Amino acid sequence: MSTRRPGLFEPRAIGQMAPATKILLYTILIVWAAFVLFPIYWLLITSVKTPAAVNQGPFFLPFIDFEPSLHAWKELFVIDYEDTLRAYMNSIIISLSATALSVLVGSMAAYALSRVDYAPNLITILYFVALLAGVGVAVGIYDVDWMLATAVAVALFFLLARAVGRIYEVRLGNGDILFWIISQRILAPIVVVVPIYMMFQSVRLLDTHLAIILTYAVVNLPIVVWLMYDFFNSIPRDLEESAQIDGATMIGTFREIILPLSRAGLAATTLLVMILSWNEYLLALFLSTTKAQTMPILVAAMNAGERGVLWWTMSVTIVVMIIPVVVLAVILQKYITKGLLVGAVKG
Amino acid sequence: MSSDHAAKTISIREMNKYYGNFHALKGLSLEVEAGEFLVLLGPSGCGKSTALRMIAGLESISSGELLIGDQDVTEVLPKYRDIAMVFQSYALYPHKTVAENIGFPLKMAKVPQAEMDEAVRAAAAQVELDGLLDRLPGQLSGGQRQRVALARAIIRRPAVFLMDEPLSNLDAKLRGNMRAELKHMQNELGITTIYVTHDQIEAMTLAHRVAIMKDGELQQLGTPKEVYSNPANLFVAGFMGSPPMNFVEGEISSGQFRAAGMSLPVTGFADNAAVTIGFRPEDCQVVEAGTGQVDASVYTFEMTGDQSLVTFEYEDRHLVVKMPKDFEIASESRAAIAFDPAEANFFDTASGRRLLPAA
Ligand SMILES: Nc1ncnc2c1ncn2[C@@H]1O[C@H](COP(=O)(O)OP(=O)(O)O)[C@@H](O)[C@H]1O
Ligand SMILES: [Mg+2]
Repeated sequence: MSTRRPGLFEPRAIGQMAPATKILLYTILIVWAAFVLFPIYWLLITSVKTPAAVNQGPFFLPFIDFEPSLHAWKELFVIDYEDTLRAYMNSIIISLSATALSVLVGSMAAYALSRVDYAPNLITILYFVALLAGVGVAVGIYDVDWMLATAVAVALFFLLARAVGRIYEVRLGNGDILFWIISQRILAPIVVVVPIYMMFQSVRLLDTHLAIILTYAVVNLPIVVWLMYDFFNSIPRDLEESAQIDGATMIGTFREIILPLSRAGLAATTLLVMILSWNEYLLALFLSTTKAQTMPILVAAMNAGERGVLWWTMSVTIVVMIIPVVVLAVILQKYITKGLLVGAVKG
Repeated sequence: MSSDHAAKTISIREMNKYYGNFHALKGLSLEVEAGEFLVLLGPSGCGKSTALRMIAGLESISSGELLIGDQDVTEVLPKYRDIAMVFQSYALYPHKTVAENIGFPLKMAKVPQAEMDEAVRAAAAQVELDGLLDRLPGQLSGGQRQRVALARAIIRRPAVFLMDEPLSNLDAKLRGNMRAELKHMQNELGITTIYVTHDQIEAMTLAHRVAIMKDGELQQLGTPKEVYSNPANLFVAGFMGSPPMNFVEGEISSGQFRAAGMSLPVTGFADNAAVTIGFRPEDCQVVEAGTGQVDASVYTFEMTGDQSLVTFEYEDRHLVVKMPKDFEIASESRAAIAFDPAEANFFDTASGRRLLPAA
C-alpha cells in the first residue's frame, strides 16, 4: 500500500474533484456571483443615499462611507406617491391578468396538442388565408362594406372548404401546429408593434389595461404552449385511460390526475410568464401614455426628468419593483419539484 | 361495495379496427363464457392490445358488435361497461398513496369513506399489500406495484377483468408466483377475464381457452391442450411449445412422406407435392444413426437441469430433441431422430393449414 499523498491535480476519491479544479471552480463561481449580486447591492444602498451622497460618491458602505437616509423613500411614497402607486397597481393588474389568461388558454391548447392527433389540410388553410386577404383587399381598396365582405367570405369558406380541401391532400400534423405557434416568437415583438398600435388605436383601446393585457397574453402564449406541451407529454396516457375505466368523468380525470401531476409545470410556466409581463417595457411604451403606465415605463421616465437623473428615487422604485417577483418565486418554488412521476409506470 | 353480481359473458362479433388504411383487427369473433379465463395470445404487433382496448372502450370499434352480458356496449363509454383493466405499465397514480390508488374507483363512484376504507383494506389483504397502504407507488417494488394495480381492479367487483400483459415487467421468478396467484384469484372470484400476452407459457398455464392471433386475425381458438396437440396451422404449431415444433418440408406420394434423407409411411393422406411435417421435441428420441426416421449430426447439446436438449443440424435448419436429464451426447457426432409418425402433424406448405387424414 502506498502512503504517497495525492497531488493537487488528483481527486481524493471517485466522483470528487481534484483540489486544484475545486479552487478554480469556486473562483469562477465567486466572480460570477459578484457580477450578479453587486448591482442589486448597489441598488439597495443607493436607495438610502441622499442626492449629495450620490453625487459626491462613489461610496460603498453605509454608516462608514456615508450616512443612510430615507430621503428618497419619503420623496417617492409621501410626496410623489400617486404616480408610483398607480404604476404599481397597473403593473400588478396587467401582469396577473395577462399571466392568468395566457396560462389558461395556452395550457388548454398544449393539452389538446399533446392528446389529440390533428390532421388539418394545408390547402384548406391556404384557402382560409386567401379569403381573409380577399376581405382585406375588398374592404381596404374597393370600399366594400366590411360586414358584407366578411359574410361572403364565411359563406364561401363553409360552402367550398371540403371541395377545395379535396383538390390536393396535404395533411399537417401536431408537430406543424406546434412549430407554427412557436414561430410566433421568432419575430421580435418590435416588428409588429406599429400594427398593434394602430389596431388598438382604431378600436380606441390605447392606454387601457385591456390592450396591454391582451397583447401580453398573446405574446406569451407560444411560451406557455411550448412549455406545457412538454409537461403534458410526460404524463403517460395510461393514467387518464385508467381513470376513465375507474369511472372518472372528464372533469374528474382533470382534477384528480392531470392537475396534480402538472402542478410543477404550471408553477414554473406561471412564474416565467409573470416575470416576462412584469418586466416588459417596449410594448407598454407604445400602448400606454399615462393611465395604464406600468413600472418599467415609470422607471425609464426617471431617466429623463428636468432635474437630471434621480438615481436615489429610481433605486427605490426598482427595489419596490423587484419585491413581488421575489415573493412569487418563493411561493411557487415549492411546487416546482422534480420526480413527481416516479412510480407511475413500470417496475 | 357494489353487489356481487354474476359474471357476464362477452360476445365479440365481426369486430374490425382500421387505423387509416391499416387494418389492425380483422373480423374478430369470440364468445367468452361467464367466469371464463380467456387468453389472447400472439406475437408483438398482432393486434392483441387493440382488441382488448376496443373491449375496454378506449379504442373505437370500426365495425362489428360487442356485447357484455346481454347489453350491446359497442358505443358505450368505458365507465359504463362494468369492467376493470390492468395495464402493462400498471398505470398507478404516482401522486396518490397505495390506499388512494386502490380506492380510486370507489371514490369516483362516490362510495362513503368508511365503506371505502373497509373495501380498500379487504382488497389490499387479498393481494397481500397490508402495511404498505400509506406508501406512494414510487416507493414500491415492481411486484408490489403489480399488486396495487390488481387490487384496484378487483375492488369494484366488475363483471369483466381485462389485463394487458400484466406480468411482463416482472422478473422471471416473480412472474411465476404472480401467475399462480392470478389464476387462484380469478378462480375464486369467478370473474370473466380476458388476458393478453405474447408468452405462450402464461397462456398455457392460465387459460381455460386460448385465442391465438396473427396479423390482426384469429388463427385458432381452443383449450390449451387442443391448440397444443391439434394446431390448426403452421403458425399456431410453431408458436406454441418451447422449444417450438420441428418442421421439415417434403412431399406425400403414394402413402409415403419424403424429404431429404427421410422417408416414412403415412396413411390416409392424399398425394401432395408440398407438405410440411411437424413433430414436437418432446415426442422424439435420439437413437443410434440409421435406426430412426432421420439421420443428422449433433450441432449442440444443452442441459437445462430438468432435461437435456439436443440440437441437430439437418439440411439448412435445426431440429431439436428433448431428452431426459441424464442423457448425454457429444457434439458433431452422428445420430438419428426417432418419432412415431402417427404422432406427427402434416401441413399444406402453401396454405399452412393442417392436413387431416381421411379417417
Ligand atoms: N393508434 C394507432 N395508430 C396506428 N396504428 C396503430 C395504433 N395502435 C396500434 N397500431 C398498430 O396496430 C397493430 C397492432 O398493435 P397492438 O394491438 O398494440 O399489438 P400487440 O398488442 O398485439 O403487440 C400494430 O401494427 C400497431 O403498429
Ligand atoms: Mg400490446
